Amino acid sequence: MRNTVIAGYVRSPFHLAGKGALARVRPDDLAAQTIRGLVEKTGVKAEDIEDIVMGCAFPEGEQGFNIARLVGLLADLPISVGGMTVNRFCGSSMSAIHIAAGQIAIGAGEAFICAGIESMSRVPMTGFNPMPNPELAKKSAAYMSMGETAENVAQNYNLTREEQDQFAARSQAKAEAAIKAGHFTDEIIPIATRNGTVDTDGTPRPGTTAEALGGLKPAFDQNGTVTAGTSSPLTDGASAVLVTSEDYAKEHGLPILARIKSVAISGCNPETMGLGPIESSRKALERAGISADQLDVIELNEAFASQSLAVIRDLGLDESKVNPDGGAIAIGHPLGATGARIVGKAAALLKRDGGKYALATQCIGGGQGIATVLEAV
Amino acid sequence: MSASTIEKVCVIGAGTMGAGIAAQVANAGVPVLLLDIVPKDGDDRDAVAKGAVAKMLKTDPAPFMSKAAAKLVETGNIEDHLERVAECDWIVEAIVERLDIKQNLYAKLEKLKKPGAAVSSNTSTIPLEKLIDGRGEEFRSSFLITHFFNPPRYMRLIEIVRGPHTDAAVADRVVDFVDRKLGKRVVPTKDTPGFIANRIGTYWLAVAVNAAMDQGLTIEEADQIGGKPMGVPKTGIFGLIDLVGIDLMPLLTESLTANLPKGDPYFDTVRDQPLIERMIAEGRTGRKAGSGFYSFEKKTRTKRALDFATGEYRDPVKPQRLPPRAEGDLHALTNAPGKTGPYAWEILGKVLAYSASLVGEAADDITAIDDAMKLGYNWKYGPFELIDRLGPGRLAERLEKEGREVPAILKTAGERPFYRVEDGQRQYLGLDGTYHDVVRAEGVLMLEDIKRKSKPLIRNGSAALWDAGDGVAVLEFTAKMNALDGEVMKLIGKAVPLVAEKFKALVVYNEGSNFSAGANLGLAMFAVNIAAWSEIEKLIAGGQDAYKALKYAPFPVVSAPAGLALGGGCEILLHSDAVQAHAESYIGLVECGVGLVPGWGGCGEMLDRWRNMPKQPKGPMPPVTKVFEIVSTATVAKSAAEAKGYGFLRESDGVTMNRDRLLADAKAKALSLVDGYTPPEAPEFKLPGAGGKAALMLAVDGFRKRGMATPYDAVVADALAEVLTGGNADLTDTVTEKNMLALEREHFMKLVRDPRTQARVESMLETGKPLRN
Repeated sequence: MRNTVIAGYVRSPFHLAGKGALARVRPDDLAAQTIRGLVEKTGVKAEDIEDIVMGCAFPEGEQGFNIARLVGLLADLPISVGGMTVNRFCGSSMSAIHIAAGQIAIGAGEAFICAGIESMSRVPMTGFNPMPNPELAKKSAAYMSMGETAENVAQNYNLTREEQDQFAARSQAKAEAAIKAGHFTDEIIPIATRNGTVDTDGTPRPGTTAEALGGLKPAFDQNGTVTAGTSSPLTDGASAVLVTSEDYAKEHGLPILARIKSVAISGCNPETMGLGPIESSRKALERAGISADQLDVIELNEAFASQSLAVIRDLGLDESKVNPDGGAIAIGHPLGATGARIVGKAAALLKRDGGKYALATQCIGGGQGIATVLEAV
Repeated sequence: MSASTIEKVCVIGAGTMGAGIAAQVANAGVPVLLLDIVPKDGDDRDAVAKGAVAKMLKTDPAPFMSKAAAKLVETGNIEDHLERVAECDWIVEAIVERLDIKQNLYAKLEKLKKPGAAVSSNTSTIPLEKLIDGRGEEFRSSFLITHFFNPPRYMRLIEIVRGPHTDAAVADRVVDFVDRKLGKRVVPTKDTPGFIANRIGTYWLAVAVNAAMDQGLTIEEADQIGGKPMGVPKTGIFGLIDLVGIDLMPLLTESLTANLPKGDPYFDTVRDQPLIERMIAEGRTGRKAGSGFYSFEKKTRTKRALDFATGEYRDPVKPQRLPPRAEGDLHALTNAPGKTGPYAWEILGKVLAYSASLVGEAADDITAIDDAMKLGYNWKYGPFELIDRLGPGRLAERLEKEGREVPAILKTAGERPFYRVEDGQRQYLGLDGTYHDVVRAEGVLMLEDIKRKSKPLIRNGSAALWDAGDGVAVLEFTAKMNALDGEVMKLIGKAVPLVAEKFKALVVYNEGSNFSAGANLGLAMFAVNIAAWSEIEKLIAGGQDAYKALKYAPFPVVSAPAGLALGGGCEILLHSDAVQAHAESYIGLVECGVGLVPGWGGCGEMLDRWRNMPKQPKGPMPPVTKVFEIVSTATVAKSAAEAKGYGFLRESDGVTMNRDRLLADAKAKALSLVDGYTPPEAPEFKLPGAGGKAALMLAVDGFRKRGMATPYDAVVADALAEVLTGGNADLTDTVTEKNMLALEREHFMKLVRDPRTQARVESMLETGKPLRN
């Protein structure tokens, strides 16, 4: 089987939906600028790119019409480069990477752009025309709001309000430190907007304390423990990674960040969808032939503090290795873009901080988990 | 000159009044520059004016009618931006009441303003002559006093003083602007201290407070006698002082005593007020402080009353009922036994005599005084209307008997009333002893005047149809509170063929304080109590038929709401070809609040509105979701501008700022639609069906969990969702307007039979507040 590597990672700045600096930017323009940035930064020959595989959780409105293809045209990539939009909700762009790895494995291409996009300002989280199957809505939690699932997880794992607040404060503190250390400048592609260039994140809230978070009201259940402060915010953002065969990357002198070792998907109960990473990570680790304690870096998407804590506890992860530059609670979670961000980030961290193995994993609305194990090259 | 020559306004002074005036200018769609001083501390030199705007955006009731209006206010400071008054056609000064500071500012403005631009002061105490002292000819000719009332958006009175030097054209321009654009009724006032409203109003409050203490009345007794029987609003005397602020009373006294001529009766009311001084010292300054004459306990939501003897609060004590005749008859009231008669006479005898003595001094005629008190203090009757109710002869006789001075105009009147109607024209008694027509401002048309001069074309117990001239008929609701019932619907049924035959257009309009707060719930509950379900269903069907008859009538229908237009009162707007709304219209479909769904076609009409709204995403859900959000939460728009945002009004619907001009504007709008009029075609809908309903109910479930919706809210929302998504309709089906009406009826009838809906309706009838069951 041919090896697949991550040979570049970029993202747009992340900004709060509705009021952030990217709210008035069309998602296709945002994604196109990000992809263009990836091509320029990696120096990959654009005509070698087989396909753009782009994750998007609500591919309609300005994210509709097979946005992957349109973004290729907007980014002035050669006409020969394909485009495919993938939807697995929050796992969309991680799936895009898995698809590319599969294509490379069967010899269906050498280089792929795996990207993700979500403008939660411009396409609402339910889409414009939510029409659930009424029968399924009655008998299952398939359509349950994400906040409610976070409450369920908190309850099942007896997670207190204080633990969640502290976790969220740690995420904010790590992000703050990463910003100060300039760790994001490398990965962020400046985005041109009507009001000038945007090149920093608008999502983090430096100085957030657990105590301050303790003052927030529950956001989803008046008797619950999950607040806006312990949830990832609605975010606008795009991400992109360059996925190639290891041979191609070496041949063309591309900056290899990490090799994809294994991947996995697994379904779980919709009402506790936040636990999805547990089973998918177990599967991926097993396929990689390693155990959790061999991991040097873990990028675990922080949809909510409650589900992050539950996953860390259940998998026995070392929290000091989780999200060293902060997680989605601080940085934001543009649904379709998160998967490529955390795979790219995990790969970049392996390279930056050294280490052998990394895991990127996330939960998915409707009850799924997705995981990717990387190894240093 | 017309109002359009004032295209930009500058307000200097961003206190409550200045900021409020700026907001009202912005509400009229006119850009306004709001300037205040540079603050002592901080980096932002515009912070004072900016802070005033920020505060207004949080104030309730809101000074701004819309967010767009707030954007028309530009803020600055008088050190860096004063030269920008040159851009403005009218400069309003609303700074601190200090002559030297005002004069100083005027000296600067004189050099900066453009020639012919009006300058006015919002002073309430300083004479015009003193203000313009030292200014040049141009400034003097451009200067006048425009005295607004607080809050400027909501109080309809403005007193305007022209000085001897004031150029008529400049003043007329301002008068026209405040009338048409700011919606105020202009009362011309002479340059006398306190002008009209505050001079009488302050005297009235002082007399009432003194007498209550002297005569040993409780607060409740005083408010009972001096309140409703005299046409004083529900807040009462002491409630009003609490609202204004008790700490303001000594300031008013100080300013009036400094300026009023010697011998003015006001001086007799001034005395030491140890209790009031103590209250001010203790910070018990009224509503803003949480306690004054009444204390408001937020936690228990109870109101306690001050005991004059102890100065402490006690539970409210309901006073004995007034003798039945005294409720509506001022003569009986002033002669009632016990505490009632003496207290009522003390107030009326003094205040009415004082008002009468000011004719000629503070105002040219009695209508100015009556208008000032009705619009500035919300009295139901002006002083001279009260004198007519008491009897001018009786008042003069009793004053004389008590050895008090009888004002000249009262002597002139003799036994004659101050107002009379001759050949359908209302007239007032002048100082010259003859009657003069009460003349409306140019272009004003009032139904009140039409009604005085003519007979209704048709009428029943709940509605009437009038001829408003030029081929326009007016449909008036006439039931108590303008409640809508089967009689209204029957009258609409008769009016449609009549208007089609004899008129060009119909205006739905009335001059109640509220256009209509909706269906007569009391009547509906009566039917529920005797289980007359078929009667209720008939009422619903009758309303649907009547409203659709209006919609598809062969002539244009224009509705002209002012005040509340709720439930069925909103639905008639939705069925009109156009609406000409008073800016202060509060429109909403509030049926869910009483456990019902709109039943007179409101659901279909709102869906039709929203699917035609620009910038809406495609597909069957967006209009349904929007209407569901608005209706399930019983949203009421807090202005006509806001109503456009909710789709209760169309963008093309007109907004009239001055209540007095509403009918004339509505009539003009109706006539503008006559040429080539064709009735609308019935809409057909593609609705999302069960899948859409499932989405809406998932959202409701979230609200339930967050504690924002009650269990029964969810039941009512379920019914509304069923109607709005088309019931059993499949996405591919065409849902007709008739189908929508049938769905409304079905779910209305289902809900009205539910005891939880009945409990909500009963609570609304008993307390006026929605029950959250």
